[in-house]
Amino acid sequence: MSASAGVDYGTCRQELDKLARKGGAVITGVADATAFTASPEGQRPTDLLPKARVVYVVGGAQPRAGDWLSPVYQHMETTSFGDRMHNLAQRLSRFIEDKYGYYAICVPPGTDSGNQPFVSFARAAELAGCGTSSLAGPVLNPEYGFMYYSVVISTLPLEIDGPLAEPVCPAPECREMWDDQGTTPCMATCPIDDGGCLGGRLENGRIAERRYDVARCSSRVETSWVPGFQKVLDATLKEKDKEQQKLMLYSSLFSRTLWSMTYANVSQGQCFECMRVCPVGGKHRLKK
Amino acid sequence: MSASVETHGFTENAEPGQLAGRVKEFALDAGADVVGIAPVERWDRDVPEGHRPVDVLPGARSVIVVGARGPTAGAWQSPNHRFMEVNGYDFRNDLVIHILADFIEAELDHYAIQAPALSVSGHNPVMSMMHAAVLAGLGTRSLAANIILNPRYGLLYYSACVTTLELPGDPMLEQNVCPHPMCVATYRKIGKTPCIAACPSDDGGCLDGEIDEQGEISYSWYDRERCTSRAMNFGINSFQKAMAEIVAEDDPDTQTNMINSDFFTRSCSAISFFRESVAQCFECMRVCPITRPERKLK
Repeated sequence: MSASAGVDYGTCRQELDKLARKGGAVITGVADATAFTASPEGQRPTDLLPKARVVYVVGGAQPRAGDWLSPVYQHMETTSFGDRMHNLAQRLSRFIEDKYGYYAICVPPGTDSGNQPFVSFARAAELAGCGTSSLAGPVLNPEYGFMYYSVVISTLPLEIDGPLAEPVCPAPECREMWDDQGTTPCMATCPIDDGGCLGGRLENGRIAERRYDVARCSSRVETSWVPGFQKVLDATLKEKDKEQQKLMLYSSLFSRTLWSMTYANVSQGQCFECMRVCPVGGKHRLKK
Repeated sequence: MSASVETHGFTENAEPGQLAGRVKEFALDAGADVVGIAPVERWDRDVPEGHRPVDVLPGARSVIVVGARGPTAGAWQSPNHRFMEVNGYDFRNDLVIHILADFIEAELDHYAIQAPALSVSGHNPVMSMMHAAVLAGLGTRSLAANIILNPRYGLLYYSACVTTLELPGDPMLEQNVCPHPMCVATYRKIGKTPCIAACPSDDGGCLDGEIDEQGEISYSWYDRERCTSRAMNFGINSFQKAMAEIVAEDDPDTQTNMINSDFFTRSCSAISFFRESVAQCFECMRVCPITRPERKLK
């Protein structure tokens, strides 16, 4: 029995999962805190919490079937984001400390200096067995596909789930398309050699090479939000014509950028096209 | 027809102590760590007109104050100081007050509002949440920048609900939480408490103070400007500071670099919805012994 000093760690996991699912998570996983050897120093769980044993990952808040169906693309811009998972992770970290008496921290979703993450959520999700990385970039869960993740680091010694044995991407449909056309749905919708962001190669049904233009993708996925604000601010300040400058300040782009950044948290992500065509988790997007 | 309102198994006409107990239980269930109640008359003695509960809600009878912990014990352990900057505060206390005010209006049929705690002009809040916490018996002022220390949790973030519902008040604390006996002993030995030693105003820091023979604070001083510039080096203040420099910059390339700099990006993130970096310095609280037992985990 995995128990110490009156704490049954199996029961802890069940209680944590129950709370996570009540809070909106559809998937949970546990990674070994010392397994982040591929992360740079300073971005490993033990760098944030000395003596960390596990990384508890929650995933969910993915766009709903109705969101994917909406023909108004701005709808997805304004409703899809991962803060529900972050709020849940904050509650879980407090729960671990109050209920079990072990240290726990919720990893901030933003970036540290130099636009670097505190801990890579994608790597945490992979090491916790929530999914595997894809040609398109996001970590895909085998059941649900794309989702948002949040991360709790703790000294609570839960049993480790570990990474999945088989990669989720490429899906069988994508392997077939590669054999027929030499591309996959995500690469076909955003081809890196034709102004898009994604490229790559499959070999024996596995990803053999992946090309991803992060700068190009960021400029499309984050057209509002802080990068959008910086861009429009720069352009506005450079404008010499005072009337034109005033128009730019009151423009739709400037307004949307401010809406995006401030309390309304509108438009956190603006491009979902590679995920729209991804077949993984597709069955959950079909409703009556 | 009876005027009583059935609410979660008890009525509005319930005995006042029972009603107060239920309101507190409700706030704790919603996420508060501590709850205290103060009758509005307690504001009459020291608080200027315009800043009392009856000024923001005519007919107000009670103020319910909730406190919520900021960083987890794990966060205090983190050697990455940026982590505390970003994750130090989750605004849970504000959420609790909204849930509580909804409950009082919907189920107890009394007016209830969130006490306005931010400044509407100048830098003075309409109502001081620190003072409300003291009047509701949740803590007392400390040598560390006047932060209100709760006897169990130390540093807490407070919000309050002003309501026309009459509730029995909790007694204010008779014993000052600060200075802790350990701090008194330290002061007797080195002439400074741990918080003052961590941030001494005579050596570039923010805090100064004295403890009398009875072990009480006889004098305290804190450099608010200096403290603000350290505790809030990201946020609205840094955004304004950076904008002033960006607008004044004549060289277009330098200006573009400033706009895309790490500092300005983090300042934008700090004021954004995700509320990154709302507080950046916890050093006086890090050495405060009040909270230590609560922060000691496995």
